[in-house]
Amino acid sequence: MNPPATAPDHAIVVEDLSRHYGPFRAVDRVSFHVERGEIFGWLGANGAGKSTTIRMLCGLLQPTSGDATVAGHRISRDPEGVKRSIGYMSQKFSLYLDLTVEANMEFFGGAYGIPRRPLRHRMEEIVGLTGLAEYRGATTGQLPGGIRQRLALGCAMLHRPEILFLDEPTAGVDPVSRRDFWRLIRRLAGEGTTVFVTTHYMDEAEYCARIGLMVDGHLVALDDPAGLKRVHVPGRVLDVRGEGLVAALPTAREVPGVMAAEPFGAGVHVRFDTGTCDDARVLGALREGGARVAGAEPVEATLEDVFLAVVARGKEWE
Amino acid sequence: MDTRMLWIQLVAVMVKEVRQTVRDKRVMFLLLVMPLVQLIVFSYAVNFEVDDVPTVVVDRDDSAASRRYVAGLLADGTLTEVARAGDEGEAERMVEADVAKAAIIIPRGLSRDLARGRPAQLQVVMDGTDPTRAGVAAGAVSRYFGEVALDLALERLRIRDAALGTTTRVPGVRMEPRIAYNPRLITAVYMVPGIAAMLVLMITTIVTAMGLAREREMGTLEQVLVTPIRPAVLMVGKLAPYVVVGLLDVALAVTVGAWVFEMPIRGDLTFLFGATALYLMSTLGIGLFISTASTSQQQAFMGGFLFILPAVLLSGNMTPIHSMPDWLQPVTWLNPLRWYIEIVRGNLLRGAGAADLWPQLVILAVMGMGILVVASMRFRKRVV
Ligand SMILES: Nc1ncnc2c1ncn2[C@@H]1O[C@H](COP(=O)(O)OP(=O)(O)OP(=O)(O)O)[C@@H](O)[C@H]1O
Ligand SMILES: [Mg+2]
Repeated sequence: MNPPATAPDHAIVVEDLSRHYGPFRAVDRVSFHVERGEIFGWLGANGAGKSTTIRMLCGLLQPTSGDATVAGHRISRDPEGVKRSIGYMSQKFSLYLDLTVEANMEFFGGAYGIPRRPLRHRMEEIVGLTGLAEYRGATTGQLPGGIRQRLALGCAMLHRPEILFLDEPTAGVDPVSRRDFWRLIRRLAGEGTTVFVTTHYMDEAEYCARIGLMVDGHLVALDDPAGLKRVHVPGRVLDVRGEGLVAALPTAREVPGVMAAEPFGAGVHVRFDTGTCDDARVLGALREGGARVAGAEPVEATLEDVFLAVVARGKEWE
Repeated sequence: MDTRMLWIQLVAVMVKEVRQTVRDKRVMFLLLVMPLVQLIVFSYAVNFEVDDVPTVVVDRDDSAASRRYVAGLLADGTLTEVARAGDEGEAERMVEADVAKAAIIIPRGLSRDLARGRPAQLQVVMDGTDPTRAGVAAGAVSRYFGEVALDLALERLRIRDAALGTTTRVPGVRMEPRIAYNPRLITAVYMVPGIAAMLVLMITTIVTAMGLAREREMGTLEQVLVTPIRPAVLMVGKLAPYVVVGLLDVALAVTVGAWVFEMPIRGDLTFLFGATALYLMSTLGIGLFISTASTSQQQAFMGGFLFILPAVLLSGNMTPIHSMPDWLQPVTWLNPLRWYIEIVRGNLLRGAGAADLWPQLVILAVMGMGILVVASMRFRKRVV
């Protein structure tokens, strides 16, 4: 796919990376690169192989085959070099629940070999950045989910890593905390840190400069959000509100030029090719199918639409 | 990687380990209160002091002299008469039926034989299921009759001297069986070294066994492993605090032993702590080994327990090694506990040092090194 480039502006270069468990291929011959300073989204359904990919890139898991260069270090030859240059937030919270916020920071700072004074100073910075000031002395296990995730991020960046790997950093976090968290991620990226992030929230994926989409261990799509939408969900999307819409979807799908008609939120989304079809024909078909249309307006395709389209195609291709 | 960085990492691991331990009330209890309680309970409960052995008496001689002997035998309280029997057979049946633990059989003509200086035979039947007790009881009997025989011999000499008008100088020898090093046979004094060794084993082995398993179970190991910390640094940092705990526990045992049980401290304590450090290599190594073989804390705890139980039973502390079956005795060679107990006893009770105890020291050092090397190799593999 991508040329095995080791250009200086590539933070991560992945070449034919695979991880098998017996006959099962959790990650199957994946190749891509991540540019320096970008927020790179790594999406996929449950079990698609996202965490497995991250764990290989962090030097936690041996690839079955293939290799990768992370921050200029080969994961096969120089895992220690990789570890010095990256920060990692695992999917499962993995700081010491029985220690205080400060004690966790002190431990991980020490584990990265940061001397006492610089560490003190850095901890001040992190505490300010992540808004943890009032929780310093609190036992980690007693913190709410959102605060814990901020602490985990803080611990992962104590040593000013070039690259941050964040595996579902906002899973199970309330919407306000999620927004704050992403504000932080964008700020870090703005300051030059490369962020490699997985998420299940498609609204978050919109923040990514580029997105790789995994289906069953394969990388099936890679582009910026706009490009993904253009390629995978072309045409015009009409958001229709009313009653009895879902029952009328099969009728709408019969219309020539209609590429997809799916329930979406309280209404339905119908996507069609503007060359062969128009709004009136779509709405007519829905009424014909027994629906009472209360309103309709064109909307931007979402990454959710992309995701559904790609996963559906991935399943067919299987 | 420069040494400064290694040092920072090592200190970070040790500090973290201590913080976690101090914050864990159960572990603190295990480390500090349990040893005290066990030390005191064990020392009192495992009572090796032999007293009141129920005894059946068969007096076939039935003379004034034999009655005096029986009374004398029972006088010191080691043996207590619980029954009389007419003959040997009856007495043995009573021992078998557990009415008595010992039988003293005084044959017909004993007093006459003793008076004439002829060899006299006296039979003592013991219930051997409790070797320590049996040994002490038999000792009490022979000691008493030894004294009786000596008295009689001296008396006859005096009579002869008086008759012949001579003076025979008898060297002032008097057989006085003395139990060396623990004259009053105070069990606690004998037990404290063993209990100290046991405590150190239990605490250091189980806590280290569970340490790595806990990190794996909680997922924290994964976060540690993305740091550039080396397995060796992680391992040393995790073990070092427990070396201190082990030494403290030994100090605690020695203090309690000396204070509460009047245990003598005849040896050099620096030597004792050095030997303890050697012993800790084995106990920590075994703990580490178990932790590399377990995926959960529960497994690690069970593993620790499965090692500790036979180690304690085969240490020679509860059952003397020479009373174990022949095939089992060589197994105790592999038991670090055995060698350490020998060192502690030798050092505290006899004042022995390296000149005396070097074989035990060498065995402990070799064993400890071996276990630690194997365990750390496994640790490296499991961790990377
Ligand atoms: N140690 C293992 N042994 C066998 N199969 C494994 C192992 N680890 C992961 N897998 C399988 O590999 C596949 C990919 O797992 P992975 O954790 O990478 O998925 P994911 O994309 O991160 O999913 P999620 O969104 O649930 O986190 C899953 O089907 C998982 O069951
Ligand atoms: Mg995952």
